[in-house]
Amino acid sequence: MQEDFHYYATYCAAYLSGYSHSESLDICYSAQFVDLCSATYLTGIKAPAQAATTQLQMEMMNTRTDVTGLQNITRIWAPFHFLPRDLYATKDKKRPKKYMNKYRLICGPNGALVKDIVELAKGKPLQSVGIAMHVLADTWAHRNFAGTPSLVINNTDDEFYEFIAGEDGEQKRKIKFQHSLSAPDDLDKSIYTSSLYQRNEKNIMNLGHGRAGHLPDYSFIKYMYLPAWDDYRVMIKDNPSDYRHAFCQMIYAMKFIRGEIDSFETDVYDFAAIKDYEERIDGILRKRQLSASSDWKAFGEDLSGESIEDFDVNKYQKEYVDAPKDEKAGTFYGLFIDGAIAHKGLVCDRIYQSGNKLVGFVQEMKND
Amino acid sequence: MTKLQRIKEIAIALIMILGALVMMTYPKESYPLIVIILAFLFIGRGISSIWYYFTMARFMVGGRESLFMGVIWFDFGVLTGAITSVPHYYVLLYLVGIHGFSGVVRVLRTRETRMTGSSNWKLTLIHGLIDIIMAVLCIVYIKQIDITGIIFGIGVLYSAVMRIVTAFRRTALIVIE
Repeated sequence: MQEDFHYYATYCAAYLSGYSHSESLDICYSAQFVDLCSATYLTGIKAPAQAATTQLQMEMMNTRTDVTGLQNITRIWAPFHFLPRDLYATKDKKRPKKYMNKYRLICGPNGALVKDIVELAKGKPLQSVGIAMHVLADTWAHRNFAGTPSLVINNTDDEFYEFIAGEDGEQKRKIKFQHSLSAPDDLDKSIYTSSLYQRNEKNIMNLGHGRAGHLPDYSFIKYMYLPAWDDYRVMIKDNPSDYRHAFCQMIYAMKFIRGEIDSFETDVYDFAAIKDYEERIDGILRKRQLSASSDWKAFGEDLSGESIEDFDVNKYQKEYVDAPKDEKAGTFYGLFIDGAIAHKGLVCDRIYQSGNKLVGFVQEMKND
Repeated sequence: MTKLQRIKEIAIALIMILGALVMMTYPKESYPLIVIILAFLFIGRGISSIWYYFTMARFMVGGRESLFMGVIWFDFGVLTGAITSVPHYYVLLYLVGIHGFSGVVRVLRTRETRMTGSSNWKLTLIHGLIDIIMAVLCIVYIKQIDITGIIFGIGVLYSAVMRIVTAFRRTALIVIE
C-alpha cells in the first residue's frame, strides 16, 4: 500500500469510526510514517534506531544476509509490513523445519496476530493506533508474501495476467515486467517494475512482494499469478475487494479501540459505516491510477468538512529534536517510537514463542 | 546467532587465516593449493545447491533449476581439480572478475548511500577501492605467478575477518516488558 491508502484512506476510516479531524490526522500521519521511519532517519534525529519500522533500499543493500543480518531485516518487515497469518500453519505433506519457518511467516489477513496488535493499540496514544492500522491494512495488500528474504516463498514466475474490466466483462491481459527502478509503471500497456530474479534464497531481492513489483500496492488491480509456495496453484488477487475489506476492518478496529465495541474479532467488517459512500469508495478503489491520493483526500475533506494537509515527513521532527532529553518521550515522535517498539516486541515475541528464530531472540523483562 | 554457530564461524575463520598467511608467505609454492581450494569451492557450491534443492527448492515452483545448477557447479569443481596444470592466467582472470565487479558495485553503492543521508558509506567505499586496487594489481602483474597467491590470500583473509566480525555481532535480541 502507498500514501494514498495509509495516509488519506486511513484518515477517512478514522473519521468514519468516530475520531475527530485532528485525531484522524494524527492516526493517519502515524500510519504513513511507518513507511518512512528508517534507522537512517532515526539516527539523524538522535532517536533509537531499534524503533525503525522500515528500511531504505540502501540500508537493505548494505545489510549482510548472514544470520544476524537476516534477523534484523525480518524483525522490521514481518511485524510492520507482512504480518504473518498463521505461525503454526501446516502443509499437507511434511516439510523440513527450515522451510516451514519461512512458510509460517507468509502474510495474510485475519490471523491471530491481527487481533493481538489491535488489542495492543487499545488504550494507547493515537500513534499506536496509526501503527496498528498500517499493519492491519498491509495484511490485505501484502497477503501471500513473507517479510523475510526467501526465494522459495516470495518468488514468482513471469506469468502474470491482469483482469481488465470492459463492456464484455473482464478480459485477461499479460503483464510485462521491467527491472528499471526509475521507469514508472505503464498502466495502459500493463508494464510494471519488479525486482530481478535472484537464485540465492536469502538475496534481498527475494524480500516481500518485490518479485510482483507494485501490483499489491495498487487498489485497482485484479491479477493472477503463480506463487512459489502454493504447489502450482494459480492465485487470483482481487485488490479492489481486498482494499474494501481492509477499509471496513480498519473502521471496525478503530471503533473497538475507541471503546464503542467491547471485543475485537477477526473477519468482521463495518460495511454499514460506508453504506452511504459505497459507490464513491468503489470508484476510487477501481480507478486505474498510480496514486489515488487526490481522490481519497477529496473524499476525506467532504466527510469532515476540514482541509487535510499533505503528508510532511518532518512535521514533528523539530519538536522531537528540540525537546529536552527527559521530555522527548512525550513528543509525537517519542510516542510513535514507544508504540513501534511495543508493537515490534509483541509480534517478535509471538514468532519466537512459536519456535521460529527468524526474528532472533526475545527476552522478557519482568517489572516488579 | 547461537553459541554453536559462533564457534563454527570462528573456527572456520581461523583456518582461513592460517591458509591465507601460508599463501601470502609462500605465494609461488601455494599456487597448486589455490587451484585445489577453487576446485573445492566449486564442488562445495554444487553440493550446497543440490542440498538446497532437496531441503527447500523442490517445494517451490520451478525449483528444479537449483538441482541443475548444483550438478553443473559440482562438475566444474571436479574438472578444475582434475586438471593437473591450470595456467595461472585463468586464476588471475577469475580474481580480476570477482574483485573488479564487486569493487565497482561497492563504489557506486556508496554514492547512493550518501544520497540517503546515511553515514555508513566510508567502510563500503574503502572495501570498494581495495577490491578495485586488487583487480588492477592482478592485471598489472599478470605474468607473475606470485601475485596470484598474495591476492588470493588477501581475499581469503578478508572473508575470514568478516566471519569473525559476524560471529561477534550482537545477537538480535528484543526485550519486552
